[in-house]
Amino acid sequence: MAASKEDLLQKLSDCVFEMEDEEVVNVAKEYAEAGYDPLEGILKGLVNGINRASDMYEREEYFIPELLICSSAMYNALDVLRPLIPKEKSGGKCKVVIGVARGDTHDIGKNLVKIMLESANYEVIDLGRDVPVEDFVNTAKREGAKVIGLSTLMSTSMNNMAKVVDMLKQEGIKDQIKVIVGGGPISQSFADKIGADGYSVNAAEAVKLVDRLVGEPIPAA
Amino acid sequence: MFKAARGEAVDRPPCICPGGMMNAIVQDIMLKSGCTWPESHYDAEKMAKLALSLYLSGGFENCGVPFCMTVEAEAMGAIVDIGDMDAEPHVVNSALNSTQDYASLKNLDLNSGRVKTVLDAIKIIKAEDKTVPVIGNITGPISTAGQLVDMARLLIDMRKSPEDCHKFINIVCDNLINFAIAQVQAGADVICIAEPSGTGEILGAELFNNFTIKYLNKILDALNDYQEIIKIVHICGKLKSVYNELDKLNCDVFSMDSAVDLKTLRDYIPGKRLMGNVSTHAIGTMNETKVIDLTQNAVARGADIVAPACGLPVFTPLNNIRSMVAAVRQG
Repeated sequence: MAASKEDLLQKLSDCVFEMEDEEVVNVAKEYAEAGYDPLEGILKGLVNGINRASDMYEREEYFIPELLICSSAMYNALDVLRPLIPKEKSGGKCKVVIGVARGDTHDIGKNLVKIMLESANYEVIDLGRDVPVEDFVNTAKREGAKVIGLSTLMSTSMNNMAKVVDMLKQEGIKDQIKVIVGGGPISQSFADKIGADGYSVNAAEAVKLVDRLVGEPIPAA
Repeated sequence: MFKAARGEAVDRPPCICPGGMMNAIVQDIMLKSGCTWPESHYDAEKMAKLALSLYLSGGFENCGVPFCMTVEAEAMGAIVDIGDMDAEPHVVNSALNSTQDYASLKNLDLNSGRVKTVLDAIKIIKAEDKTVPVIGNITGPISTAGQLVDMARLLIDMRKSPEDCHKFINIVCDNLINFAIAQVQAGADVICIAEPSGTGEILGAELFNNFTIKYLNKILDALNDYQEIIKIVHICGKLKSVYNELDKLNCDVFSMDSAVDLKTLRDYIPGKRLMGNVSTHAIGTMNETKVIDLTQNAVARGADIVAPACGLPVFTPLNNIRSMVAAVRQG
């Protein structure tokens, strides 16, 4: 007898939460083969698991290595479930261009924000790390993105964050494209100083920040 | 500075900035000395002159080289973008795809590349000025390893294949030891090991013990033959999860980020001198009055050595550094 949907959702969540990054693929396949709704599998299974992992991280019982393995478990299962979602459902919210500003290659924080935004159904265009100022602006223009997310761990690339804001102003499109910043040396006061639209202290908050900036209703917890 | 680092009586704490990851060099001093980035990262004469110029211009009470944390990783096979006047050198391509590939690591060669530049610069500074304390900098084993493979890969492998991870970091460590000893032999009075990535905030207490402390101590203990050398360890980030572990580090001086309260930490590591931890964001962007306030606060919280809490932003005004040093001198 096939396992019930509830059992499999719980298993998906547990696999992500318990860092079972190989077993999770088998569970996702079993879930898909049983014909259950893929979007529900992602939201109530995988995202539920990553949320539980985030809670452990907030409580300082999980740290970054644990969070990374949980994320890779989530991604492995997403590879199975995402292709099964009908196109119009996966379109979701607006586009967000994200990357690590030129001068830095630390991208763990940026990747976590990307995962959280994607799991919240934003379409994320990831420019990677050490990204030149003009690439952020040009990509956002070309793709019609409403948000640019800038990350850094190094104070030397903070200047380049300011330059992205300045370039948007020079091109007269600052009011169309919101800029959010985050990372180790970044603070709300720095965001205010360079004229960014928002700062977020961690990946979960970044989603709420983007929701607020682009006017998406914030779902009740 | 030597007395303060050994815990002997001093009339005031010294005010220093080690270099390396904890970069002290700012654009004002590059322009003043004519030794700019990126040239000064690979030209020993310019590296030495730049470090000395900062010292002689009322900057910190030491000279420190190099000005980045990529020398070791580059020497072991990572690809580095040397940066420019605005950006520090940074790794753009790791040397390995995974920790399992450790056998293909290059050994750090003391006679070539920027490793040699650093060693030569130390000798030049020593020849120019016999009195200035010279700090040689080593990038910590976890931070170096995290540039030789992707940092995320390293963190995952610490959990998933710890044996390979230990073999890999042991090789990294042996190379770092060679570089550290060569710096001492070139004339460095102090060795500062900066471990931005191996922090408790990222790893948690268990992995911090098994990796960060273990391998930092391996390097620190390898310097035991050089009794007169002062050993500083700097670890970034919040440390609350590892307060109880820090006393195991075999260093003389522990340096911390501005996220850590110096006075609180004192109870956990009573046997070491504490260094820190004036916010580099403040030194970089605020006015001199604010910098002086924060410096005096670090002294009041019990800093045995006053220093920036991390690397200085390159746009930091020289006058803010002068104000910081002057504030410590005036007490």
